[in-house]
Order: sequence, then C-alpha cells, then structure tokens
Amino acid sequence: MIPLENFLLLSAVLFAIGFYGVLARRSAILILISVELMLAGVAINFVAFSTYLDGEAFSGLIFALFVITVAAAEVGLALGIVLRLYRERNTANVDAADELRW
Amino acid sequence: MLERLPLPSQFDRVIVMGSMLVVLIAAPIVLVLLALLIGDQISAPEFVFWLAAAVVVGGALGAVLLPNVVHAALSLVATLLGVAGIYLLLVSDFIALVQILVYGGGVVILLLFGLMLTNAQDDPVVTDGSQKPFAFVVGALIGGTFIAAILDAEFGSSAATVVAFEDFGARLFRDYLVPVIVVAVLLDIALTGAFVNARPDPPEPAETTEDATATPGGAS
Amino acid sequence: MGMEQVWLLPAIPFAAFVILAPLHRLMPRQGDVIAILGMAAAFVLALVVIADFQGFFVDGQFLPGGQNAYSFDWVTIGGDFFVIEFSTWVDSITVVMIAVVTFVALMVMVYSVGYMKGEVRYGWYFAAMSFFTAAMLLLVISGNLIQLYLAWEGVGLASYLLIGFYWERQTAAEAAKKAFITTRIGDVGLLIGIILLWRATGTFDIQEIIHAAEAGEIGMRYLTISMVFVFAGAVGKSAQFPLHVWLPDAMEGPTPVSALIHAATMVVAGVYLVARFLPIYDITLVARDVVLYTGLITAVMAATMGLVSSDIKRVLAYSTMSQLGFMFVALGVGALTAAMFHLLTHAFFKSLLFLGSGSVIHATDEQEVEQLGGLWRKMPITTVTFVVGGLALAGLPIFAGFWSKDEILADLLETGPLLAYIALAATAVLTAIYTTRLVILTFFGEPKNRRAYDRAHEQPAIMVGPLVLLAALAIVAGFVAIDGVGEALGFAGGIGAVVFEGESGHAFSIEGGLALGATMAALAGVFIGVIYWRGDARRAEQARGWAPELYQLFVRRYYFDDLYQATINRVILGLGGVVAWFDKRVVNETGVDGGTQSIGYLGYRLKFLQTGRIPNYALGMALGALILTLIAFGVA
Repeated sequence: MIPLENFLLLSAVLFAIGFYGVLARRSAILILISVELMLAGVAINFVAFSTYLDGEAFSGLIFALFVITVAAAEVGLALGIVLRLYRERNTANVDAADELRW
Repeated sequence: MLERLPLPSQFDRVIVMGSMLVVLIAAPIVLVLLALLIGDQISAPEFVFWLAAAVVVGGALGAVLLPNVVHAALSLVATLLGVAGIYLLLVSDFIALVQILVYGGGVVILLLFGLMLTNAQDDPVVTDGSQKPFAFVVGALIGGTFIAAILDAEFGSSAATVVAFEDFGARLFRDYLVPVIVVAVLLDIALTGAFVNARPDPPEPAETTEDATATPGGAS
Repeated sequence: MGMEQVWLLPAIPFAAFVILAPLHRLMPRQGDVIAILGMAAAFVLALVVIADFQGFFVDGQFLPGGQNAYSFDWVTIGGDFFVIEFSTWVDSITVVMIAVVTFVALMVMVYSVGYMKGEVRYGWYFAAMSFFTAAMLLLVISGNLIQLYLAWEGVGLASYLLIGFYWERQTAAEAAKKAFITTRIGDVGLLIGIILLWRATGTFDIQEIIHAAEAGEIGMRYLTISMVFVFAGAVGKSAQFPLHVWLPDAMEGPTPVSALIHAATMVVAGVYLVARFLPIYDITLVARDVVLYTGLITAVMAATMGLVSSDIKRVLAYSTMSQLGFMFVALGVGALTAAMFHLLTHAFFKSLLFLGSGSVIHATDEQEVEQLGGLWRKMPITTVTFVVGGLALAGLPIFAGFWSKDEILADLLETGPLLAYIALAATAVLTAIYTTRLVILTFFGEPKNRRAYDRAHEQPAIMVGPLVLLAALAIVAGFVAIDGVGEALGFAGGIGAVVFEGESGHAFSIEGGLALGATMAALAGVFIGVIYWRGDARRAEQARGWAPELYQLFVRRYYFDDLYQATINRVILGLGGVVAWFDKRVVNETGVDGGTQSIGYLGYRLKFLQTGRIPNYALGMALGALILTLIAFGVA
C-alpha cells in the first residue's frame, strides 16, 4: 500500500507552492489560482487522514467536501471584487490598489 | 520546422508547442517510473501515485511560474485533475467526483470568465512582483516546517478504508445536516455579494436636478 | 490664666500680623495702634506668666522646672516613630526671654511710631514687626525642636523682610540676601543636629532629649557631634565667627529694626538655644569648649573691628557681636546665670544705644561719625540717655552692664582657662575704648558738618520716652544681682534664686577684688578713649599711622567678606556652571531632543513599510504566522 506520509508530503508541497504563488504573483486572477492550489492541498490532507486513520467516522471526507464548496464560493466572490478593481483601475494588477499608504 | 506543418491558426500552433513541451518533460518521468515498476521497486499503486503526484506538482509549478495568465489557468486544470486522481488513490471516489465537478466545472470556468472580463487576451503576460525571493524563502520555510513535522510524526499503520456512497450520503444529511444548510446559505450570500460587487453602478439620483429645485421635498 | 496660656504670647502678635498684612492700607494710621496694643497685651501676659512661675518657688527651694503646658500631637507617622507636636515649656530661661522680648519690642514699636512717620510702607513695617515678635516668642516657648526650628526660620524670614525694608536700595536688598543666606548655612547645621538627636532618642521633645543624654543613653562622640551641629545654628543666627559677616550689613534696615532684632532679640536666639541645651553641653565638654572659643574669638575680633568703624550703627553692630561673644564665653564655662543675666542687661542698653543712634540719624540724616559732633547742645536728652547706655556697655559700676560683665569674668576666672580670662578682660577694655570713642565723636567736640549740626533737634516725645525708660532700666537692671533687692520686691531668696536657678543659694557671686579690677579696666578704657579722641582726635590719627596693616585688617573686617565672595565665585558658581552645562548638553540636547529626533527619524524610516500593496501585507502576515508557528512549537 501507499504509505500515509506520501500523501501528506504531497499536500505539504502543494500548499507550499500555492503559498509562494499567493505572495509572488501580481495579477489578481493568478493570486486566486494560487489560493485554489492551497485549498486543494488542504483537502488532500483531510482526506488522507480520514481514510487512513479515521475510517469508520469519515469526518475528514465531509470536511474536505465543505472545503471544496467554500473554495468555490470564495472564488465567485473574489472575482466580483476583481471585476470591480478592473472597472476602477482598468487593470487586474493588485499593485493598482495602493491608496492606503504612507 | 513548424512552419512547414499545415497548421490552421496561431492558437493551434501554441497548443501543439505546449503539448510537445509537456510530452518532452513528462516522458522521462514516465519512463523512469515504468522502469521502477517493472523492476519491482515500486508497486502498481505507488506507480500510479507517483504519476499523479508528478502531474499535480508539475501543474502547480506551472500555475505559479508561468508568466502567461491563460497558460497558468490551464496548468491549474491539470493540477486539479491530478488531485482528483489522488482522491481515487485514497479510495474516496465521491470526493474525486465532487472535485472534478466543482473545481473543473465551476471554479476553472469562473476563472476563465474572470480572465475574459479583465481583457487578459490583450495582455496576457504579467510580470511577477518584486518580492519573489522573499516569497520563495517563506514558502520554502513553510513547506519545510510541514515536511519536518510530517517526517517527525509517527502514524499507526493501517489500511485505507472504503466508504460506501449510501453511508456517506446518510451521514452527511443526517448528522451533518446543519452544516450543509449553512454552507448552502453561505453559497447564497457569496453569490449575492458577487453580484452586488460586479454589477454596473446604478444611475446617479442627482440627474433629476430640475425636479429637486422646483419642488423641495416634493414627490418624485 | 497662667503658664498654661503661654501659647497666647506668640498668638496675639501673630493675629496682629494676620490683620495688618492684608488690610493695613485700609486702616486709620495704617494700623500701628493694633500692633502696639497687641504688643502691650503680650507684655502684660508675659508678666502674668512670670507671676505664675514665681508661685512655684516654695520654702527657698524650687519645684522642679517649669511646666510643660499645652502639648498636642500634630503629625504622627508610624505610631510612635515620628511625631510632630505643638508643645510649650516654661522655665527660668523662658521667663527671662519673654520678659526681654515683649518689653523691648513694645519700646521699639512705640519709638517706631515717631521714627517711621511718613515712611513708605508704614503699615507693612508694623505687620512685619508683629510677625517677628510672634516668631521670636514662639521660639522661646517651644518645647520641641521642630517647633523651635519652625520659629527659627520664621525669625530669619522676618529679619530678611525687615533688613530689606527699603528694598529699592540695592545695598539693602543685597544685605537682606546676605543675612538670610549666611544664617541659612547655620540653620542647615541646626537641622542636622536636630535629626541626629532624633535618631538617637526618637523624640523631638527638648526635655526628653536632655534627660536621655543625662541618663547616658547616647554615645559620647555622637552626642558631641550633634551638639556641635546644633551650635552651628547658633553661630549663624548670633553672628559669631565664622558666620558673622551678615550683621554689619544688616544695618541697612531701619534703625528700630536693628534695635529690636539685631541687638536684643533675634541674635540672642543662638544664646537661648545653647542655654537650653546647656545640660547636654555640660556633658560633652568638647562641644562646650567649641562654644567657649568661638565666643572668645568673636568677642575679640568684633571689638577690634568696632574700633575703626565710622558708621554709628556699624560700631553698635560690632559691639553686639562682641557682647554676644561674651555670652557664649559664659555658656562655654557652664555659667548659665551669668550668660542670661548679661543677655537681659545687654538687651536693655544695646537697644537703648540703637534707638539713641536712630534719633541722631533721624535728626541729622547722617550716619557717619565723621560728619557729627557737638550734638550735646542740640539734643541733650538723647545725649544723656546715650551716655547712660554707653557707660552700661563699657561696664562701669552701678550701670547694668557692670554687674553682668563682672559676673561673666568671675565665672570665667573660676572655671575657665586663664588665657581666655586675659583675652576677655582685654576685650572689656577695648569695649570701653570704642564706646567712649563713639560717644565723643558723635555728641562732643566740635561739629564737623555744619549742615548736619544745624538740622539736629530733639526728637518728639514718642521717641524720647522709650529712650528714657530704657535708660532707667539700664541703670537699675543690674541691681537684681543683689539679693536684698529681690527680696524687697517679693522674690524670696532674691531674684537671682527665683529666676536664675541652677546654682542653689546665691545665684550671683560678686567678689570685691574682681569687681574692683573690672572697674579699673573699664575706667582705663574710658580714659584712653577720652585722651585719644578728644577734640580733633589728633592722637587717634597718629595711632592709625603706627600699624597701617593692622588698621586695614580691622577695617576690611579681617578680609572675611572677600574670602567668602571669592569662594562663592570660584567654587559655587563654578559648580553651577558645570551643572548647567550638564543639564544643557546631556539632559536636554542628548536626552530630550535626541530622544525626540531618534524617534522621529525611526518613524520616518518605518513609514515606508506601509506600501498599501496587498502582496506586501500578505508577506508580512505570512512571515508573522510562520514565526509564531515556529515559536509555538519550540523551534525558534
């Protein structure tokens, strides 16, 4: 069988890559993509733990379901904000929203 | 060389080139894994796992590193499909299905719509921010922390348990009914918020200035 | 009504002050009547207290001490640890002091009505005088050291106010400052002494401290040091060497002020203090010797300085300094009676002399003896009273000064070092000489300044009256030494036994031989004075040429003023400069301004963190979360 650690390591790597993307990317859409990566990693983590360690009460699976659902909702909402940003600044670059500064 | 091929349009050329690139990168990996499988180094499930993991990680790297937003979005699709495969390996077919449906059918479509509405086709190449090195360091640190924690921990070894659809559904709508309703409401709110944010601004009430000065406080 | 009500003695003048100080401009005659009435009431009350005190004398023996009347606690800290109380103590010393203070103050106030007439701030003068008497009376009736110190400072304040009465004059303001600061130095010593005594005994009550010392509860060295510090206060207040420099300059104040404060009352506060603590000084003989020699040096020094001074009031000031030295010498050999007796007589004749000089100054507008002369024709009564005072000061028999000075010399010969006796006797001769000089130069001979002479006239009755009264006392006050007089007045065993206790039986010892010797010395002094300064004082001029450096030494007050001024300039002002530099550079520029600038600069640099860009903030949050995680799991 596939050891549990493999899945956990995969989820950690996926999370880290997504984390890098959130901090490094400039376009709002790309930041959202990176957030999706992070959430996917989290979901993998939950499912892996649930399957291997919590088989009878599969609460991890249910949690992962909710994570996926909330991720979808969040993307929809965030896109609304991105469109508003685009309308004001004519660009999707988050650096354009920098009026609250010194 | 490519000009000699009978290709109908520019995009096709991009697709062809991209596919060739992917194959070039993926082929060695697949060959190595096959060798390991045949050589009895890894078992069949592990082979599939490493394949799916390669897809996931490769797609993720593409999503965060590719300068072209459309390419990055498509890379995300690859990643999400890979994740679905991972779920299958975890014997959670239901979650795999949900993953493909919601992410692949919903989230990605939304993202592509977003790209379209922000006119990404005019200027698809976005340069990354100036804090790339810091981001790399922090990301590496976080990943390293997690990996260290995982390697350090001890888990009791047990087999993967299969969960039947009926049990899953019953459990979901019996014990976790309230969270399900709450999530439904959440979706509702999110969509409403998105709609409010994204709609065009309502017309200014001050456009009817003649009526306002003539009859102060009068009826509209 | 008796000794219990002795606290009224300072209260009445103080009430007068409280009324006069804010309201004197609104009152008729600016309120001088109120001040005088208050003083008269205090005098009468003092007599009542004395009568009550005398009642304690039974069967030729005194019942122990006076009575510690009216004490209540004002501040108590830590139960018994630190208690400030208001307490009064009446004994023989107190009785003498209240008699002197109230009577002389009354005389001076009456005199002032004439002297200060038409002066600016007339009403404030009387208010300040009332305040002074209140403080002085509080000082002498105090039963505990804190109250005494309070009154001590009050007296110093009154002196400052009154010396600087004509503060428009620069010299007067400077003199007031000098007086206050110099006495302040002594006062610090007194405070240290008080604290030391409190540390040893836990109480501020004077009688308790004396009992504790007599019972041997305090170590000898500790006690000696405490008493020396206490004496430092007396040195300052009584203008003894080395804190004597303020008294000659204090003559800038109005003459009645000099008569009251700097002749009869405030300057004897030091004598009073040492007299109070004499039981302890009798134990710590080292401290007592300090008192003796300080007094001796001052007596001699001041007499030489009085010899060459040309201002009437200055001569009298030096004379006061010298006579106070006499009193301290007496205390220095433990002769309480002699010292208090001399205090009494000196108060009378010195204030008489000052008031007399005040009459001369008021009449002629001149203070320098070089400008005076031959005034006996124009101001006969003043001349007579002044001569009486002078003879008393010189120590001629019959006059009061003779009895008291003789008493001191007798006690000194008996119990003190012979050298001290010789020095003091010589000083007595000097006293006679300079007194005679003063009298001759002022009142006799030919007038040197015609205009001053023409202006001179006898003063109004209100000024002459006190002069006559004081002159009478200067004559008869000495007779209290004779027991027969005292018994005739109703004091069983003589006044000496009743008032000046301590020595049982005879309080006064008048030996014929010594008395004769003292008389001869005084007469010799008068004779020398007459010879040298008679007529045009040719011989005195010649004498000046014999030892010009010595003359200069006397005139320049032994260069003490210069020494002190140089010390102040170099040491104190120098130190002040250092401290000022430190405050400016280190504290202000580096600390305060530097701190401000550093923070401002820091803020200026830090503000660039707020870029307004979301990815930057996201990085910040991520970094924070990472660090917290690492800390939480014990890695960082």
